[in-house]
Amino acid sequence: MKCDIKSFLDAEKPDDYQERLKEEIGALNAKFHMLTAAVNSIGSGFPFSVKDNICVKGVEASASSRILSGYVPPFNATAIERLPKESFAFIGKTKMDEFGLGTFGINCDDHPLNPFDEKRVTGGSSAGSAAATAVIKHHVSIAESTGGSISCPASFCGVVGFTPTYGAVSRYGLIDYANSLDKIGIMSRSAGNIKYVFDLIRGEDPRDSTSVSTEISNRHSKNLIVIDQLMDGIDQRILKSFDRFLSKLQSLGYSIEHRSIPFIEKSIPTYYIISMAEASTNLAKYTGFKYGHKITDFSKGYNDFFSDARDSFGMEAKRRVVLGTFVRSAGLKGRYYEKALRLRSMFIEKLSETLSAGLIISPTMPSLAPKIKDAGSLDPIATYSMDSITIPPNLCGFPHISFPFDYIDGMPVGAQAVSGHFNDYSVIDFAGEWEEQFEYKFNYNAGAL
Amino acid sequence: MENGYLERVLATCRIKLTQDEFNKISKDIDEILGYFDTISETDCDSYDPAFQPITIPPKLRDDKADAFGDVPGLLKNSKIYRFYVVGPKV
Amino acid sequence: MKIGLEVHTALPTHSKLFCACSTEAAEPNTAICPVCMGFPGSKPVLNRNALEISLRVSAALHCSIIKNSYFIRKVYFYPDLPKSYQITQLEGSVGHGGYVDIGSKKIRIRRVQLEEDPARIIRSEDYSLLDFNRSGVPLNEIVTEPDIASEEELRSFVSELRSILYYVGIDIDKEVKIDLNISLGEERVEVKNVTGIKNLIDAARFEKKRQSDLLQSGKPIVKETRSYSAESLSTVSSREKESDEEYGFIFDPDLSFYPTSGIALGKPVIASEIASSYGKYSGTVKELIMLDRDSLRLLEYGSKNSDIKNVINAIELLKRHRGTSMPNEGFGEMLKYMDSGLLPNEDAISALMQGKPVDLAADVIDAKDIDDEINRLISERPQLVSEYKANKKAFNFIVGMILKKHRVDPKYVSERLSAIIGQA
Repeated sequence: MKCDIKSFLDAEKPDDYQERLKEEIGALNAKFHMLTAAVNSIGSGFPFSVKDNICVKGVEASASSRILSGYVPPFNATAIERLPKESFAFIGKTKMDEFGLGTFGINCDDHPLNPFDEKRVTGGSSAGSAAATAVIKHHVSIAESTGGSISCPASFCGVVGFTPTYGAVSRYGLIDYANSLDKIGIMSRSAGNIKYVFDLIRGEDPRDSTSVSTEISNRHSKNLIVIDQLMDGIDQRILKSFDRFLSKLQSLGYSIEHRSIPFIEKSIPTYYIISMAEASTNLAKYTGFKYGHKITDFSKGYNDFFSDARDSFGMEAKRRVVLGTFVRSAGLKGRYYEKALRLRSMFIEKLSETLSAGLIISPTMPSLAPKIKDAGSLDPIATYSMDSITIPPNLCGFPHISFPFDYIDGMPVGAQAVSGHFNDYSVIDFAGEWEEQFEYKFNYNAGAL
Repeated sequence: MENGYLERVLATCRIKLTQDEFNKISKDIDEILGYFDTISETDCDSYDPAFQPITIPPKLRDDKADAFGDVPGLLKNSKIYRFYVVGPKV
Repeated sequence: MKIGLEVHTALPTHSKLFCACSTEAAEPNTAICPVCMGFPGSKPVLNRNALEISLRVSAALHCSIIKNSYFIRKVYFYPDLPKSYQITQLEGSVGHGGYVDIGSKKIRIRRVQLEEDPARIIRSEDYSLLDFNRSGVPLNEIVTEPDIASEEELRSFVSELRSILYYVGIDIDKEVKIDLNISLGEERVEVKNVTGIKNLIDAARFEKKRQSDLLQSGKPIVKETRSYSAESLSTVSSREKESDEEYGFIFDPDLSFYPTSGIALGKPVIASEIASSYGKYSGTVKELIMLDRDSLRLLEYGSKNSDIKNVINAIELLKRHRGTSMPNEGFGEMLKYMDSGLLPNEDAISALMQGKPVDLAADVIDAKDIDDEINRLISERPQLVSEYKANKKAFNFIVGMILKKHRVDPKYVSERLSAIIGQA
C-alpha cells in the first residue's frame, strides 16, 4: 500500500521547505478557506491538520461556532496526543459545519470552497479537512464523522476518508455533537497513510469510557455486496459510472452480489432523531460565560444572559436543538427517541448479517458536489436525504471508507466501502488495492517534493 | 407541533428567535416531524434500545485524586474575580 | 400530613464522581479540570468507589440492587451546572424499593441514586461567583415515598438515616441538602435545598402551620416550589417554573452500563435493628451505638461472655473517659472485673487501653464498698434525703466524701446515690 509518511520523513528537503509550504498553504487558504486561521510556523514532521471540533492544547477550538469563539482548550485530544511530535507537524484547524451540523460544509462563516470547482461545496461537515487534503500533497487530516461527515466531503473533494468503528478511536478531546455516533477518523490521499495514522491513534483510552480495546481485524473478503435500496435516487451519470467501476472490480477478481435490506431508508430519520436528541443536550452547555465569555453584562439575570448568548448559534444548530429537545421530551420520547434506539438495534443486526458475507459497496453520495447556491436553497429534508448512503454505517458504528473511483465533468466521484464492527483494516486494504491501479487526480499539490 | 408548544420548547432550551426565524423554523419543524413519524411504520418492538452501536464494557476509575496540570489554562476561558468564575446574576 | 424527602449527601471519596480532582480543596477553583468544568471535549469516567458506596447505602436501606446501573442526563439551565445537564440516575439507579424502619412503621425508600454535585454559587447584586471545586463531587440522593406523617416520625426517620449512613461511612451532618415535599391538603409543596437537619425540622414545622392555616381559612394550597430561610424560620415561594423537568432525560451516551454483581457489599449495619435484639436494654443500647462503631464493637464482643448490664455499664464508663477505642482484649479484662463486682478507675482504664497490667490494689475498687460507704453516710445524715429533694446539689457533699476515699468516677457515685435514695 502507498504510504508517503515514512518516505516524506526520510526525504532530503530543501532548507526553505517549511517556509515554502507555509506560503503555499497560506495562498491556497486565501482561496479555499479550509483553515480557521493563518498558518503560523510549520515543524519538520509530516503535515497534519485537525478538524476544529477536536482539541489541540493552546489552540482555539470553536467547532466553527460563534458561540465557542475564543475557547482555548488547555488539553489535547487523545488522538492528537498519540501522534508523535517528532514525526508530525501541526498546520492548523480545519473549518466545518457548525458543531458538525451539516451536509455541505456551508454552515459556518467563510465556509471552504471545493478545490475542484470553487463554485461548489466541499461537503461537510469535515469540509476544511477534505479541502486541505485536496490541495496539500503530503498531509493527513484528523477529521470526525457523526452521520457521514468524513465520507461526504471526501467524496466531493476527491480524497480518501476513513471512519473507524465506533469506539476504536478515543473521543476524548472531541467536542460532542452526538456522543453515541461521533467517531474521529482520518483523511489523506492514500489508504496507506490512513492505516499508518489509524494504528497510531486507535485503542482504548482511560479518559473515554466508550473507547474499547477490541482488536482490529482484517477479515478480507473478495465478495462485494450492493444494497439495491441504497441506489435509489442516485444521479444517473454516477450510477452508470458505478456500474463500470463494479465491472472493473469483477475483472480484478471481486464478486458482486445484490441484496436488499428492508426499511433501510428509515435509517435516515432514525439517525436524525438520535443525533438531534443527543445534540440538544450537548449544546446546552453553551451559555456564554465559561468557554470564552462574550456577554459582559452579568447583571441581566441568568435566563436572559443564556438566551442572549445562545442567540449566536446558527440556524441549523437552533433547529436541531429545538427538534432534539422535542423528540426526547417526556410525552414523546417513546414515539421518537426510544423507537429510534430500537430501530438502530434492528439495523445493526440486519447489516451485521449482510456484512458477515462481504463488504457493502456503493457510491458515497447520490450526486456530485452541488453548486453552493443550490445547496443553500435546499429544504432541510432534502438536505438530510443527501446522507442516505453515509448514514447506515454511521448510525450503526460500522467502519467505512470513501475514495475516488471516477471523475465526471472534472469533479471527483467517491465510492464507499463498509465492513463489520472492528474489521476496519478490510476497508482500508480494499481502498489500498484500488489505488494500485487507479490514479487520483488533484488540481493543487502544495508542498510537493 | 401544536400551537404554543414550540414557544415552550424554545423557552426550555433558552433559544430566542425573531419572528421571521420563528415562522421559518416552525414550518421546517412540522415537515421534519412528519418525516420522523415515518419510523412508526416499522415494527421493532422485539429489539432492545441500542444506546451505543457496540457493546461497551464498563470502565471504572480507581478512587485516586490527581490534580489537573493546567488550572490557569482552564480559568483563562472565563472572567475571574478573586479566584471565582464570574457568572450571570441569579 | 404527608412528607416525602429527597436527601442529598456527599460520599466520602478521595476523588470526584467522574474525574480525578480531589474532593477536598480549600482555595476556590483549585480542584478543577476539563471534566468537572464541563469543558467541550472532556469526557466522564466513573469512580469505582462512589458506585460501591452507593451500593452499600442501598443495601443498608433494604433496597433491591439493580443488575446493571446506568446514568441519564437531566438538562436544566442554571449557572452552577457546568454542562447544563446533570449526570444522574432514575430507572438506572443503584437501589430501588427499600425502607427505613423507624419502630412505629416503615418509611419506604423509592430509590437511591448516584449523581454529581453542581458548583458552589455565591449570589451577588449584579453577578454570581462560582467555585467549581464542588462541581462533580459524588452525591447519593435518597428518595423516600411520602410516608412520613408527623414531626416525630420525621425526627425518627432522620435519626435512623443518620445512623445507617454513619455505618456506611457517610456523615450526614457534614453536608446534607434536602428537598422536602410536604402536603396537608391535595397539592404538594416542595421546599428545595434545605441544608442541615435542624433547618429541615424547622421548615417542616413552618410549612405544616402555613398549610393548616390556609386550610382552616378555606384558602387553597398552591402546588409550588418554595425555599427555606434559616434567618426568618420560614419558607417563601421561589416562583420557579417546574416545567423544565418534564423535558428530556436521556441515557448518557458518554457512559455505559455498570454491572453490580461483582461488587462485595458486606453485611449492612443497622444499629437500631441490632439494639432491638437486646430486649429491655434495647433503648440504652441504641443510644450507645447509633453513632459509635467502637461502642458497637465492644457491645458485640462483650455480650458474648458477660452480663449485658455490665457491658452497658462498662461502655458508658468508657464513653465518659473517652476510652471506647479500647481494644477488645482490654475490654474483656475490664468486664472480668465488673462481672465480679469491681470498678476500674481512670488509671485502670488507661492501663487496659495500652494493654498494661492493672494494679488491683490501687486502680480497681469493689462496687460493694462504694454502696456500703453511701449507705453509711446517709444513715449518718438522714436529713440529706429531704435536702436532696429540695436541691440536688446536696449530693455533692457525699460524692466529695467518697471521692476522698476512693478513686472512682464521680458520675458513677451520683448514679448509685440516686439508686440507693430511690430505694430508701
